[in-house]
Amino acid sequence: MIFVPITYKGGVYRHDEIVDLIEDLGGYIVQKHMIAQDVVLQCLVPKDDVELIRTIGRPLGGEVIVAPLVGTEIAVVSPSLEIHHLPHSSCDVAEYLRRAGAKTNMVGLARGFGKRIANLNVEERDTINEHDLVVYVLGNFEVCIEEKFPALRRGVHVPIVVTGAPSTEALRRVIDPPVEGYVGNMGRCMHRTKKPEELATLDALVDEVSRVLDEKRVEIAKDPLSVSPARLMKVIEEKVEAVHMVNHPTPVTVQIAGLRVKIPYESYAPEIRALEIENGVTVGDVAEVLPSKMRNYIWLRIKPFSETNIMV
Amino acid sequence: MAALEYFTVECVEDKGREVYEQIASDVLLDLDLLRVVEKLHIFIDPRVPVFVAVGTTRRSGGLVRIRDFADVIVEEGRATLSIGDETYLAPMLSILWGRYGKDSIDQPDRFSVVVHLPEGEDPREIEEIVVADPEEGLYRDLIYALQIVAPEGFKVRRQYHAGGVFYYVASENTLPQEIVDTLVAEKLNLIGVTL
Repeated sequence: MIFVPITYKGGVYRHDEIVDLIEDLGGYIVQKHMIAQDVVLQCLVPKDDVELIRTIGRPLGGEVIVAPLVGTEIAVVSPSLEIHHLPHSSCDVAEYLRRAGAKTNMVGLARGFGKRIANLNVEERDTINEHDLVVYVLGNFEVCIEEKFPALRRGVHVPIVVTGAPSTEALRRVIDPPVEGYVGNMGRCMHRTKKPEELATLDALVDEVSRVLDEKRVEIAKDPLSVSPARLMKVIEEKVEAVHMVNHPTPVTVQIAGLRVKIPYESYAPEIRALEIENGVTVGDVAEVLPSKMRNYIWLRIKPFSETNIMV
Repeated sequence: MAALEYFTVECVEDKGREVYEQIASDVLLDLDLLRVVEKLHIFIDPRVPVFVAVGTTRRSGGLVRIRDFADVIVEEGRATLSIGDETYLAPMLSILWGRYGKDSIDQPDRFSVVVHLPEGEDPREIEEIVVADPEEGLYRDLIYALQIVAPEGFKVRRQYHAGGVFYYVASENTLPQEIVDTLVAEKLNLIGVTL
């Protein structure tokens, strides 16, 4: 079954029918927002049933939009998040990616500013490496990006998308070795992005990020995962009571090839490892349960089929 | 920026120059400094790296005295100040407390202050007491604005403001004084000012 990421926006009234429908079709609700009278569902649904959801949702005032980034967790890295340089363009970047369905985390580097003095510490590097993709929101000068970027990317092995004020071609020229994606014309500015050309740049960023993630998905499809992350999320939500006691908007965050479970590693890791998915296959068989660098959360890295010889 | 008499950004990179023109006008507009700054020349060389901003400010009026915002009515042994503009009320009260002591100052309502004068004091002197110097705040605001405009990593800085002329030099490397002086003099020449 091929899943497509969609966003359903509609009213609270009778939205449980849509939730039931998605679950009956075998889809997964990755995130659910209730904002006053509105409900926003980020979900993964079978490709053939998108029209059905749209038809059933229409009388309820529901709208179905294909959101390419649902089910991904993206790190937005800014060299600094200093108070006197607010508003930061990285805030707009993070917010825009969220509208496309991604779960974004902002990473403000401790010593990322400057040209010669920029660096990335081990904790930051490991945190970034827990994500599906990293967006570096860099500054206005070509020479600075050229000199500092090697320091900022050291040890990062997830796909990288770089943004900066120089044009896309200039970024492509100065960054060596090449990264997966480039978006030019977006550097530090001291106002919120609201002009049409700035919004067009943000749209270009979303396109670039989804292109890079699609490439990653194709790569993963060559050696499929032992279990789909969305399915694993459902298993954890059904069987681990503690995730419902957490106040985070996404207590279980879905990634392309993993999950972040926002409960303490020390107390819950053994329970999660022993959780049965189906026919005696446990979570520990198909995924590595690791301590996350983000607080004391749990990070699950789902193993590919070639490693486990199990497919559930 | 219409309100500035002279505004130029000089940079080796064209894109960088465009962006910094935008940043500088956004910041000056946000912090309401457009009417205060008369000329502004910004020079950025990211290869060194160095950021230099030089310029001149308009005179913002002289010192603020009590007579500028309050009427003083002198009666037997005491002066009643009726406040027209509350902006300087707090600094005025602390100055009066310091000078006459808290016992001698009453504030029966929000807009009036009564000063019980000691023997032999000329009540008219109260009018001349200096409460604030707008230049002081201006310097702080201006340097704050330039700190925002300057690239984020440029933590080493030299700043100066006196007699309506200011400069702000920043870098991420050390800044020897003679280099700062030469650079600043060169840039100030462009706007027709010498220190």
